[in-house]
Amino acid sequence: MDYQEKFERALEKVQKAPRYTGGEMNTAVKPWEEAGLHFGFCFPDTYEVGMSHLGMKILYGLINREEWSLCERFFMPWTDMIALMKEDGIPLLSMESRRPLSEFDVIGFTLQYEMSYSNILAMMEMGGVPPEGKDRGEDDPIVVAGGPCAFNPEPLADFIDAFMIGDGEDVMTELNRVILKRKTEGWSREKCLRELAGLEGVYVPSLYDVQYDEAGRVTAVTPKEEGVPATVRKRVVVDLNNTYYPEEIPVPYTEIVFDRIMLEIMRGCTRGCRFCQAGMLYRPVRERSLDTLISLAEKLQEATGYEEISLSSLSSGDYSCLPELIRELMRRMKDKRVSISLPSLRIDSVLKESLEETQQVKKTSLTFAPEAGTQRMRDVINKGVTEEDLLEKVRDAFRGGWNSVKLYFMDGLPTETKEDLDGIADLARKVVSEYFAVPKDIRARGLRVTVSVSIFVPKPFTPFQWAPQDTLETVREKTEYLKQILNIKGVTFNWHEPYVSYLEACFARGDRRIGRVLRKAYEKGCILDGWNETFRFDKWMEAFRECGLDPAFYANREREKEEVLPWDHIDSGISKAFLWRENEKSRRAETTKDCRKGCNACGLQKWGVCGYANAGRV
Amino acid sequence: MLADYRNGVFADMRMLAVFEKSERIRHIGHLDIQRSVQRGLRRSGLPVAYSQGFNPHILITFASALSTGACGKREIMDVTMASEVTEEEFLTRMNRAMPPEMQLKEARAVEDRHPSLMGMVRAAVYDLVIRDGEQAGKLAAALPEMMKKDQIVTMRKTKTKLAECDIKPLIYSVRAEGQHLYATLALTERESCKPQMLLEALKTEAGIDGEVRMLVIRQGLLGEDADGTLRPLELL
Repeated sequence: MDYQEKFERALEKVQKAPRYTGGEMNTAVKPWEEAGLHFGFCFPDTYEVGMSHLGMKILYGLINREEWSLCERFFMPWTDMIALMKEDGIPLLSMESRRPLSEFDVIGFTLQYEMSYSNILAMMEMGGVPPEGKDRGEDDPIVVAGGPCAFNPEPLADFIDAFMIGDGEDVMTELNRVILKRKTEGWSREKCLRELAGLEGVYVPSLYDVQYDEAGRVTAVTPKEEGVPATVRKRVVVDLNNTYYPEEIPVPYTEIVFDRIMLEIMRGCTRGCRFCQAGMLYRPVRERSLDTLISLAEKLQEATGYEEISLSSLSSGDYSCLPELIRELMRRMKDKRVSISLPSLRIDSVLKESLEETQQVKKTSLTFAPEAGTQRMRDVINKGVTEEDLLEKVRDAFRGGWNSVKLYFMDGLPTETKEDLDGIADLARKVVSEYFAVPKDIRARGLRVTVSVSIFVPKPFTPFQWAPQDTLETVREKTEYLKQILNIKGVTFNWHEPYVSYLEACFARGDRRIGRVLRKAYEKGCILDGWNETFRFDKWMEAFRECGLDPAFYANREREKEEVLPWDHIDSGISKAFLWRENEKSRRAETTKDCRKGCNACGLQKWGVCGYANAGRV
Repeated sequence: MLADYRNGVFADMRMLAVFEKSERIRHIGHLDIQRSVQRGLRRSGLPVAYSQGFNPHILITFASALSTGACGKREIMDVTMASEVTEEEFLTRMNRAMPPEMQLKEARAVEDRHPSLMGMVRAAVYDLVIRDGEQAGKLAAALPEMMKKDQIVTMRKTKTKLAECDIKPLIYSVRAEGQHLYATLALTERESCKPQMLLEALKTEAGIDGEVRMLVIRQGLLGEDADGTLRPLELL
């Protein structure tokens, strides 16, 4: 136990020791010996980011609830800690019992964004687990991963033994049972992986062959042996009211990114925005009932003491009983001095009434995401929002005493022209005018309009999965132009450096070969790529060159309709035919209606899990 | 009992509770400890009093802020209650609501007019653990010589600069035993001797230049009774 003492010594030297100490409320798990299966849940980013993530809290509770399994947390240490760990030979330790990663039977990574991939390699290596599957032996853990990025598992195929596709709470226990048998039945690693491949929603990449053509395009992904499914179908929790949701969640000592209760009111979205991967992956829409939510909110509040509850989903404004939910939560939480916040307000669906109620507790800044500056462009991306909608909501907000508005846009969307960029500035200017149109004695002082423009990254399983991303050069030009036209009084413009989005685009639609680039970049010292201060674009480009791969092939290339996409063997339920149809419609700036107004035949209607599949047939 | 109007609320009792800040969480700063206690109170469901105003907060104070890096065996919180609660109930409910690293040991109900604890603190009792045995030996050997001096001058960090400071009158007692230094040091709003200052002085005396790793365990807080004798603050 020598490294425990060394770890204590390292804590005295690092900048933010509390992110490594553990011992938080609601993290006392059962004794190690009492569980047959030990699950190391890894969030491949820092503690403050990882502890804000809802999915981790759900699975943490779910695994620990089972008598026979135990779950402890791991996070990516910051560079100062990593240096000390290397110097003193301290392995990556769990937050709970401070055991090295290598002592766990299964380690699971959650894949929330591509720029965390290098951290996965770093965490395994620091934890004493060989990062590549082929190097792992009979004594090493099984390495699994899930989350939205698992829908294109290929870039991580060399590193992850098994991917969980779809809703994690559905497959987690089944997967753990199989891995437990590796211990109890003495299964070999190989046998265990083969058994895992037999579970619905589990993809074991080492059991598949990938073929490429001369240009480097994938031509086929095929199972190596019989009994391994040709396509892996995502798991879907059909009824959110009867699925596990934690009633106790860890409460950190220090402030984290989202330091509050997150109440997932529904999963999925019926809007069909064409750039949005989550909107496709999390289909169908499933709501939690009012009763379930209110009971959960009360239990979570009692278990955490948090001062704020945020309603979480892709489009909270679409929740069918939103006003009732907010009213009831406010009634019950008022005496407990808990405020309710709605994070992802859709501008066309928030009832004025609820706005006024939110304000009663706390007046925070309002966020709107028109995503594009002109109506034509919004039609291209199927963002069913009009300028008048937006301005009306903004007007109400300014009259209601808000003075701070955030507007989110993207640039580099397919078919974008200069006019669309001009539209962003026009819209910002109109928002400013709305503020000044409100009489002085009514409006709050000090207008703040923040315009954030991010760079469009085409993602798998969206209608834009075939589309090229703007080149670095084009993005830079557009940003310079936006800086000029957004120099408006009262408006702050936030732009993004193009490099991270460029790499994100490479990995989002990467194939199995790009895993070599990841390995190489990691060896060159790339870690914590999601952070400005540690991101090294030059090293990444070096890695591409040395691997003989061209980043433009992944980021800037338009795919053909017939092309086999690296993720075609993953079945998200959304058909490629539907996505292509949507892609064509986008070229014509034609919109597609919200699923609630009638089924658009996205493919999921065949699974019988979508409540809107037969609704409002036209 | 006559209700008292304080900080905008009517309250008639306060609860003084002794709690631990464990070694594991010693790097948690005072503000975070405060917030954790507040959330613990919210979890407990106890009838705590809130301040009035736009952002109501729980009426709570701490006898003394404990430095980041130090652990405390008997820290004291002072909570204003909105209605009466027994000491037993306060303890039971809070210990269910607090993590194992921050358990309560005792609670004592006092009238609202009980003086502010912060103003009553005079000294703190420390157990200072020198991690390196050899260094501990040298420091222990140097201790009697140092204490014989009329003045023990060391450097004190203020907000802007380092200042010379004589800590001799601020040391109530100090003795060495094995790797431990047991010390009672002045701690008031005006002047205090931090464990690090004692260590620096002792290092100079012992002729140690390098880093000395020391675990600071604050064992308790002391105040003065009517006779001017130092006694545990929570009992005064």
